[in-house]
This record gives sequence, structure tokens and C-alpha cells, in this order.
Amino acid sequence: MNGPQLLVALALTAAGGLAAFLLRRAWNDRSASRAWLIVAGWAVLAIALVAGSPALGTARGIFIASTVISVAALAFIATGIQVRPSRVAADKSSIALEPSDRPSRAWRGVLRFLLAGPIGMIAAMGVGIMWTVYLPSDPQTRIVSSGLIIPVVWGALMAWTLSDDKIIRATAVLVGVAIVTFSAAAIRGFG
Amino acid sequence: MNANTDQAKQGRKPGKSIWPKVPAPFVRAILAGHSSLGLAFAALIFLVCFSGTVAVLLEDVERWEAPQLAPVHAITPQAVETMRSEALAKYPGAHHIFASLPSEDQPRFRIYVDAVEGQPNKEWVVDQNGHMVAETHNPFTDFIQRLHLYLHLPSSWGLFVVGLTGVALLSSLVSGILAHPRVFRDAFHLRWGGSKRLQEADLHNRIGIWGLPFHIILSLTGALLGLSTVLIGVLALVVFKGDVNQAYSYFLPPTAKDDPRPAPLPPIAPLFEHVQTTAPGAAFSYITFEHPGETGQSVMITAIKPNALNRGDTWVFDGSGQLMKGGYSNSNGTPGNAILQAVSTLHFGWFGGWPVKIAYILLGAGLTVVTASGVAIWLARRRDKGRPAPRWERVWVAFCWSQPTGYAVAALVALLAPTAPLVPIWLVTTLLALATGLMWTPQQISWRLRLIGAVLITAVPATHLALFSGQTADPVAWVVNVIMAGCAVLLAVSLLRAPKKAVASAPQPAE
Repeated sequence: MNGPQLLVALALTAAGGLAAFLLRRAWNDRSASRAWLIVAGWAVLAIALVAGSPALGTARGIFIASTVISVAALAFIATGIQVRPSRVAADKSSIALEPSDRPSRAWRGVLRFLLAGPIGMIAAMGVGIMWTVYLPSDPQTRIVSSGLIIPVVWGALMAWTLSDDKIIRATAVLVGVAIVTFSAAAIRGFG
Repeated sequence: MNANTDQAKQGRKPGKSIWPKVPAPFVRAILAGHSSLGLAFAALIFLVCFSGTVAVLLEDVERWEAPQLAPVHAITPQAVETMRSEALAKYPGAHHIFASLPSEDQPRFRIYVDAVEGQPNKEWVVDQNGHMVAETHNPFTDFIQRLHLYLHLPSSWGLFVVGLTGVALLSSLVSGILAHPRVFRDAFHLRWGGSKRLQEADLHNRIGIWGLPFHIILSLTGALLGLSTVLIGVLALVVFKGDVNQAYSYFLPPTAKDDPRPAPLPPIAPLFEHVQTTAPGAAFSYITFEHPGETGQSVMITAIKPNALNRGDTWVFDGSGQLMKGGYSNSNGTPGNAILQAVSTLHFGWFGGWPVKIAYILLGAGLTVVTASGVAIWLARRRDKGRPAPRWERVWVAFCWSQPTGYAVAALVALLAPTAPLVPIWLVTTLLALATGLMWTPQQISWRLRLIGAVLITAVPATHLALFSGQTADPVAWVVNVIMAGCAVLLAVSLLRAPKKAVASAPQPAE
């Protein structure tokens, strides 16, 4: 990163701080100007995300911006820290929701582990490989995009199967998805 | 205390929320899943995030370990030819020579010689004239790298476990957003002190939400890198009749037909000129010699275009110096290639020099804190509900604070006894830190391990200065020493802020 590019990165950092400032003003402000502050905050964020691209490179500029904006926003949040006296007693006024209490039987735990782990992985791979086979694009894009899809799908399936109490339904869906996707991929071939 | 009561105290009317209402049973179910997943993978995610944060400086730590070697800022084709001749003279019949060429961000000329098939590559540092000056020995760099990539497990298993950890992190991000409908509404609350649970929750949610783009990029690219071998294997099994090479062939450059008869080495200058004509301003990053000195030899050159995010375009030349058929691979030629070439630079933050490295270190440390605070919230919630888990409180605090100490001990041993095995030393240090849970309260563990960590981390740059005093030719050694000293100062400052009574108090929720 050369001198001018460093200045651009610093400007993007400042823009991230400005966006956080505007959004915090909106968060504090309940008057009519709140909507404008929200629009202005998000507009600064959106502009900052792409503004660095001419100087830093198209894709590189966006990723540099998203990185430094996060740091600037977190630094800005840190300036608003409220320090309170330590208290050992539980906070009874908290309105945070508690996790649901679920039936805890060994077989449910094992099945939930299998669904989130190996079965979820197989189903996600089925989705990804079917994508690779059917996507009308060049081979590299088909393979790499499926490589990105598989962790996303697997992660989503993990989140779902670990949350859903109806795990027999989840089992049926995952096994069904795996059978359909792998079969469809095997029938068509890479082509 | 919550956001609404805060606003009421400050005389503000709670305005109409712009966020949609999420049904409470849904949130409670997702929260249960988020907790289960977080607890199951907490230690692995913590290890991967902590090592990843340190690994941002991997190339700099490598230079720090051999600071007597001067940086190389530019090389000539003649220097590359000299290096090739010396490598072949030292390792006759070498199958491959991989050279990492110096760049603005990484001014070191390194080569890896595949001297004997099936054996580890011989690694050397080369000077600006192309002379091989020192065989590489970077025990601490290797320790960090192998911990982050493989968790020091056998490589294929380790890579899979790290990839799985990436998926778990990605899943936690998804469930974390869904489980916290107030995460955007409370986006500016950062309360320190007061209730332990609220403090940890604020820290967890604020860093989690404002660092979200970074967290997504990191976990997704990490999962892709870790699982790629398995994914290609399954793809090959389903659609290529098990032929993995066919799947890889879409990404590999052409190779020359194997012909071991001796042949002259091609001059490098015309190849460099060809690259510079095709891609003006591109910076050379790698050059690979395949079967050098044979009729079936080839030379692959990689160069990065200005402001590119990726690892560069490649050109493959045959033994006569001609560009091979299909020998040019444009890193932006297809979306798939563009993504693939950008995955590792995005993951490690090696695309914007020091500003991005520093940002990655801060955000990586933030993600490590998010992991630590996630478990702390669960422990505090149990304590609030009258079901404390004091043993786990101690274990978790000890585990988290064991890592700065473990890394410092590994770095010290690497400096003082470079041939000593670092993994057992790090493991024993971690186990000793965990053993403190048998004797001390969480506050005592936290305070004392931070103190030990601060002292040991201070000892690392001090030892480095003592060992390499007057020999340091690479200025990055000073930068790494300053960063380490800065970490030690941060730990020391955190000790000053710790309440004195906590040291001797009864067991409390984890810090």
C-alpha cells in the first residue's frame, strides 16, 4: 500500500467512524430527524464501501473498506462505554430471553449430533454437488461456487437441526435432500 | 438493566422500533441451538481464532526469527538464474524449485527445493544476488502455522477439523443473529461492570455485530480452505468416477511431457519480459522450475497485477522459453478462478499491507473475545439461575488465559533452544494453566495467568534483543518486538484495572 492509498484507507476509516456516529445519533434521537440520521449513516457506509475502489482496486477496495470500517465503528462504540460498579447479584431486570428447555434423552442428543454433523455435511455436499453439476457456467466457477455453498448450507443446517425440537422431521428432510441431490448429480454427471 | 430502562432513566421515550418482532419461542429455540453449538466448539474456535490472530503476522514472525538476514526489495533475472544454478549444484537432480520472490510486503527471497521425492522440501533464504545464504529454520513460525492450519494433528485430519470449526463458526454467526433480535436495536450499548452477564453479553454482541463482515469472510474462507480436500474428493467420487486428478485439472496449469534427457536451462530475462509485456506493472511473486535441466522441463511464473486482491496470474513456459498451450491463467479469467485466487489472501489479511494486517489483528482478537465471552455468558446465566458450574468457570478462564502464556513459552524456547519440540512444551504449559483450576478461584486464575503472560511475553523481545543485538538487519524484527511488548503492556494494564479484592475472593463467574 503506497502513500496515497494509505490516505484513502485512513479516509475510509474516518468514514466508518462518521457512519457509526450518525447511526448512534439516530439511536439516541427519537425526534423527526431520526430517519434522516439513519439514512445518512447507512449512506455513508455504502459510499465508503465502494469509494476506495478506484484507488485501491475494485474488489480489494471493497474488502479493505469493510475491514477498516468495522474497526472504526468498534472503536467508536468503545468511546461510549458505560462503566458501572460491579455487582455480584443476578440481574433480575434483564429481559433477555432464555434458551428453551428441551427434552434431554440420550438418543435425541445422539441424533441431534448426527444431524448437525455427518448427516448435515452429506446433505450440504449433495446440494453443493448438484449445484456444480447443473450450474450453466465454466467448470472453475461451478466447482468453486459449490465450495462456498457447502459450508454455508452445512452451517445453516447445523443452526436449524440444533434448534428444531422436531428432530425426526429434520432427519427426514436431511436424508431426503441428500438422496435427491446426490442422485440428481450422479444421473447428470459433470458434463 | 436493559435498553428500555436505560432510555427511560435518561428521559427518552422509547420510539417505535423499525425492526420486525421475532416470536419468542423461535428465539428461545435458536438460542438453545446457539448455546449447544458454541459450547461444543468453544475450545476449538478459541484455539483457531487465537492462532489465526497471531498468524496474520506469520511472514513477519518468520523474518523476526532470522533478523540477521537483510531484506531483499528487488531481484533481477540474473539473480534468479544464479539461485537456480546454486540450488541445482547443491541438490543435483532436484525435481522442483519453488521460489517465493520478494515483494513490497514481504521483502524476502525464499526457495523450497524438492530434492528427494517424498521427503520434505529443503528451504533456503536467498540474497539479492541470488546466492543461497541460509537454510531456513523457523520453529516458532512453523508452530503457529501448524497450530492454525492443523491444530498440530496429522495434516489431513487437522485440516478437516479446522474446516469443521469454520463451519461451526459460520453456523454460530447465523444462529447468533437469529437468536438475538435486539442485536441491532442494542447496537450501541456497551456496559462494563454491573451484572457480569450483561457485561459479557454487551461485549459479545457488540463485537459480534460490528465485526460481522470480517467474521463471515473469515469463517467462510476458513471452511473452504479446510474442507477443500474433502469436497474435491466427494465431487470426484460422484461425478468423475473417483478420479480426483480430473477435478484438480481444471485449476492446474499445463505440464510439460515427462522427458528426463538433459537439456539447457532456459534464460529467465526473456520470460520476465514476456510477463511484463502481457501485464504491465505486475509484481513477480513466484517462480517454479519443474524438472529443471531436463528436456521435459517447464518454468511457471506468477505475477500480481497492481491493486489485485488475488495471488496473481500465471504463465507457464516450456524448456525452450515458449509459452505453453493454455499456459496463461488469468486470475480474473473466470469468477471461480478470481474467488479461488483471493481466498487465502482474504483469510489471512495479506492484501493491504500493514493497515489491513493491524485491522485483522484487532478484529481477530475481537473474534477471540466473542468466543471467550460466549462461554462466559452461559456460565453467568447458570450462576444467575442458581445452578453455577464453578469447575467449568475455572477451566474456561484457565484455558483462555493459558494461550498467551503458552505462546510466550514456545517463542522463548524457539529462541533459546531452536531444535526443541515446541508442541509438547505448548501443550504442557496449557495443561499446567488448566491445573490452576484445581487450586485457585477464577479471579485468581485470570489475574495470575495474565501476570505470568505479561512477564513471559516481555521476556520474548528482551531475549530476542539480547540474542541478536547488533546483528539485526531486517527492521521488521523491531516491529514484531514492539508488537509483543505492546501485548505485554496491555496485559499489565489489565492487571492494574482488576479489582484488588477479586484476587482473594470466593469463586465467582468467569471473567
